[in-house]
This record gives sequence, structure tokens and C-alpha cells, in this order.
Amino acid sequence: MSFLESIKTALSSIAANKMRSLLTMLGIIIGISAVITITTLGSSLTATIQNAFSVLGANYFDVYVEEEWLYDEETDSWYPNSEANLEDNLITTEMLDRLYTQYPDCYYNASVENVGSASTTNALKETINLRIDGIMDGYLSYNDFDLVAGRNITLRDNIEEKYSALVSDIFVRQYFKHNEEPIGKTIAVIDDNGISRDFTIVGVYQYSEIYQRLVMGDSREDDMTTDILIPYITAFSMMNREFNGFEYLTLTCNSTKQAEDLTNELRSFFEAEYADTPGISCNIYSSLEELDIISTVINVVTIVISIIAAISLLVGGVGVMNIMLVSVTERTREIGIRKALGAKSSNIRLQFVIEAITICLIGGIIGIIIGIWNGEIFGFIAKFLIQQNEEFGVLFRTIKITPSIGAILISITFSTLIGIFFGLYPASKAAKMNPIDALRYD
Amino acid sequence: MSNFIIDMTDIYKRYFIGRPNELQILNRITLQVKKGEFVAIVGPSGSGKSTLMNIIGALDKPTEGTYCLNGTDIGKLSDKELSNIRNREIGFVFQTFNLIPRANALKNVELPMMYAGTSARERTARAKELLKLVGMEDRMTHKPNELSGGQKQRVAIARAMANNPSIILADEPTGALDSKTGRMVMDIFHKLHREEGKTVVLITHSPELASETERTISIYDGAITSDVQNPKYQSAAAPTESDQSGEEVTA
Repeated sequence: MSFLESIKTALSSIAANKMRSLLTMLGIIIGISAVITITTLGSSLTATIQNAFSVLGANYFDVYVEEEWLYDEETDSWYPNSEANLEDNLITTEMLDRLYTQYPDCYYNASVENVGSASTTNALKETINLRIDGIMDGYLSYNDFDLVAGRNITLRDNIEEKYSALVSDIFVRQYFKHNEEPIGKTIAVIDDNGISRDFTIVGVYQYSEIYQRLVMGDSREDDMTTDILIPYITAFSMMNREFNGFEYLTLTCNSTKQAEDLTNELRSFFEAEYADTPGISCNIYSSLEELDIISTVINVVTIVISIIAAISLLVGGVGVMNIMLVSVTERTREIGIRKALGAKSSNIRLQFVIEAITICLIGGIIGIIIGIWNGEIFGFIAKFLIQQNEEFGVLFRTIKITPSIGAILISITFSTLIGIFFGLYPASKAAKMNPIDALRYD
Repeated sequence: MSNFIIDMTDIYKRYFIGRPNELQILNRITLQVKKGEFVAIVGPSGSGKSTLMNIIGALDKPTEGTYCLNGTDIGKLSDKELSNIRNREIGFVFQTFNLIPRANALKNVELPMMYAGTSARERTARAKELLKLVGMEDRMTHKPNELSGGQKQRVAIARAMANNPSIILADEPTGALDSKTGRMVMDIFHKLHREEGKTVVLITHSPELASETERTISIYDGAITSDVQNPKYQSAAAPTESDQSGEEVTA
């Protein structure tokens, strides 16, 4: 008797007891659909968060220097190395220059310093309000702002404390009214203290969509206060502060290399820079590690809840075994007939195991379909709720509902295994029947 | 190798139902049946004829003695080999028909061939041929509960013939039928015996039915009490021949 015929026989016996088979499947259906729903939500959440990270410009590294911490055995406590002088050992522009030279067009410093509000007056005697921010070369890319004309503020602008500036495209329209080419023009910016300084426009940037929506709101373009971006160190001198270096900075990265490799690259660079300064350590921290941690946490939670849901599959399996035992008893006579007609014990066993597997597999497939469907519904609800909220709505524009293929394959395998495991005992009971007794059974 | 299909020597069958009680069902049965014979085994209830039938049909093994079925010593076979023997050498016909209720007539006849590993196409062709032989070609797609008793028994006979067995072993085949349909079933056995040259072993408690076979073996208390050739055989079978393809009266 072939495998295909066993399946046909199994299907006809399931069809003969439709209601009973469906109720038996219910345990498997509920178990599998719960697992699939949970894994679908878990993998969708991971995908959505990864997506949000990339919207936020996630590829960045935090670098900071600190005094090394020493351990005091007597008091069982840690304390900073007092011999180290952090102020004299900050991350300097020279170090950045060496970093940029060693890895050209790879790393950019996203540091920013707010100076305060300011204003300027155009040829039509209109006063235009501004905010002054001192920036390094990586600020635009970190914030996902586009440079639409001219050039970026460079490290050189900073080192030489130039009075160069980036202005927004909005400012260009406010100030020049489309009449003039802004690049190379000089504008007089008056700060809070009433001091006027001349800045040369070197470039024009455009805010990112998110920034525009979250920060600028929807006021009229003429009334908007935009940022004038000047060199970081120039900003320090405007505020009469001395720039000694960075204690902390954020590096953005333009590289296709693995985050781990980049972290190691930066770590070895800064360790070399601080090799001769005892008591000072430099730490690198990658945002992608944070993403990894979040993803790991979600995965662990998903797996744990899935396992709990999978316990209900065992209950379903016991239900299958129960109904198979009933079925074997009911069909004792049929088993006797089959044996009298020449069925081997192995034929009988296979027939009942396949019947159990078929019940579990059909249940499993229905469960998978319901699970995916549940995932879609929950995803739809989540999408609806999030889009009610303006701020999240931008971040989570794309909520991806992705059924986990792995979970589906595991579910199918698991249903089959449940069928085998819980079908084997009733099937063996059927196979072991004595044909004479079975034929006599009423 | 003997030229007997059934060759039983000193067969005992005992059941142990706890010491010191030992239930002896068959007591030194020695029996030979030639190929192509039509034999009846008669005896009252409790005489041991069912046990004898189970042993002949390879459903059970004797406690003692040797039984060669078509040259094969049954006592030495494993369960799996016994299954094969039942499948290929024996065609069972039961008093209560024992058709599989969920399968139609055609599928029921195909079943022994399925266990024999015959291809699907060959199976269907053979099953159709056999159903035609027993006059059931119009009812092939009917399920057992849509058939009358006589029709069911005819399907069962077709099924018994499926793998062209050495022996048709019929246990009270007319016991659940009225006399007219019973007659029709008996006629089919006669036809199989005469036209197909089948060995038929009929187990019955009715001396009347037994008398239309070639040879009657009577058993009582687990032992053979008589073994006689029936002079009536020819005359009993011949007159009914014309009725064989007659319409079935639904029970």
C-alpha cells in the first residue's frame, strides 16, 4: 500500500467525521495560530524599529574620553584617576584631521553648539530672525539635511575660525526673494548682545522632512526662524569661550563596512592617539549595537512567548491522541478485515500515523493562515493608532508586517512531529491487534 | 511437496486459561484437501470449526502439528509472512460480509490488491472484471450501506478472488441471507469451483448446504468424526445454473 493511498484513506476517514476532526484540530489550530501571530508581530516590530533607525540616520558612533577609573580595595569602590588631566587631553581638531587623512571620506563629526538667536536685515530692510548653531562637518549628514548649493562647513573652516555660514533654502527665499545668487554673499548677523558680524554664505541646505515637520511646525514660510550654521569653533569664540577639544563627539559614517569593523577601526585609532597619555581612556559606542540589543530583546521575548504558546500545542496533541484512540477502537473490525485481507502490521500502523499527521498538518496549515491573518489585523490596528500621533507617524511611516518564514516552516515541521508523536501510540495499538479478535469485535 | 492444497497433520489447538485448566479446541486433526476440491466442514457451535477455519486461513497458528498450505509450512512463518499468505493464498468470505463501510464496491475489491502492491490501473481493471463475474458490474460505485445482503456478499466474493488465491474460505456465507439470495451466493461458489477451478472450503452448520459440495467433513468436539464424498454433488449444482445471472431480490 503506497504512501499516497494511505493519505487518501486518511482523508476519507477525516471527511467521514468532519465535526469530530475539526474539533480535534482546534487545539492544533489555536496553538499554531498563536505562535504564528506572536512571531509575525515580533518580526514586524523588529523590521519596523530597524526602519525607524534608518530614518533617524542610525549609522553613527559616539566617541568620548574620560579619566580611567581605579579600584580601591580598602573601600571597595571605584574612583577616577586624579593624576589624569582630562581638560588637556580632549579630542582635538588635529586628531580629527589625522582621522580624516587616514580614512578619507569616511568619518564626519556631527557636533553642534547652540549660540542663540540672532537676526539680519535684507536689502528691503526686512528683519529676518535666525538661530545660530556652530557645527562640524558631519552635522548635515547626521541630521539628514541636504546640501542644495555651495559647499559644506569643513574642518578647515573650523581650524581657521572662518566666518563662513550655511543658510537654509527658506532663508534664501526670505532674504534674497529669488533675485540673487546667495553663494559668496556676505550677510550681517546681529546676535543677542547686539554685536554685528559679517558671515559669508558658502552653502545652502534643506531641512529633512522629519525635522521640518517636528521642529518648524506649519507656520508660514515668511515667519519661520531658520538656522544659520557656522563653524563650531567660530561659535565658541563668539561666546568668548575657549575651544580645547571635544570631550564627547558623534561621528557619522559613510561606509558600507560592518558596524563592528568600523568600531574596531575607530577604537584602534583613538587608542593609538591616547597611547602616551596615561590615565585617560577613549571609548567608542555604536548606535547599531543599540539596535542589535533592541532586536535581541524583541527576539528573546518573541521566542519565550512562542514557547509558552507552543505548550498549548501539546494539549492539542493529546487531543489528537485521544481521538485517534477512539478511532482505533471504533474501527477494530475494519482493522481485523484489513488484516484478514493481507494488511501487515506496518500497513495498519502507517495508516493511523498518517491519519494523525494529516489531522495535525491540516490544523497546522489552518493555524498558520489564521496566524498570518491575525498579524495583519494587529499590524493594521497598530498602524492606525501610530498614525494618529503626528510624531510617531513620521518615524513609523512604514510598518512592515512580515510573517516569519522560519516560524512557518517550524510550525509545519512541529505539526508533523506532533502527529507522529501522538499518533504512534494509537497506531501501534491498532497494528498489534489480533485479527481474530478484531474480526469478532462488534 | 505434496499435491494437496491443504495438508494438515496431527493439528492440536489449545488455549491456556490458567493452570490447571487447559482448553483443548482441536484434537489431532489430520486433513488433506486437493487442489480444485469443493469441501464443506460441518459441525455444531462449539465444535471447533471456527478455530479450524482460522488455522486454515492463516489467521492463527496451531499449537502442535504441521499445516502446509500450498506447500508452505504455516507454523514456521512470522506475522509478516502470514499476512502475505493471507493476502495471496486465501480469499475470505464472511457470514457478515465484512466490507469496509467507507469504501465503495470497487475500492473494497481493490483492497487486497492494494496490500499486494498491484498498480492502480491493474487493480481497477481486475476489480471491474471480478465484479462483472459476480454480476455486480452495475453497482461498482455503491457503498456497502447502499447494497442488499446478497449484493454485499457478492462483492465480498469478488474481493476474495482479487489476488487469485489458492483457496476460497467461506465461513457461513449464507448465514445472514434469506434462502433465495443464499441460493444465489451458493451458485456463485459452484461457478467459481467449476469454471475457475477454485478450491472452495465452506464452513457451515447446515448439513443441507454441505451436501451440495463434493465432500463433507464433520467435526465434533475438536475432532473429525466423518469425511465422506457426496453422491448428490452433480445433481445439486446443475439445475440452478440458469439462475446465476438472475435479478437480485433486494433484502
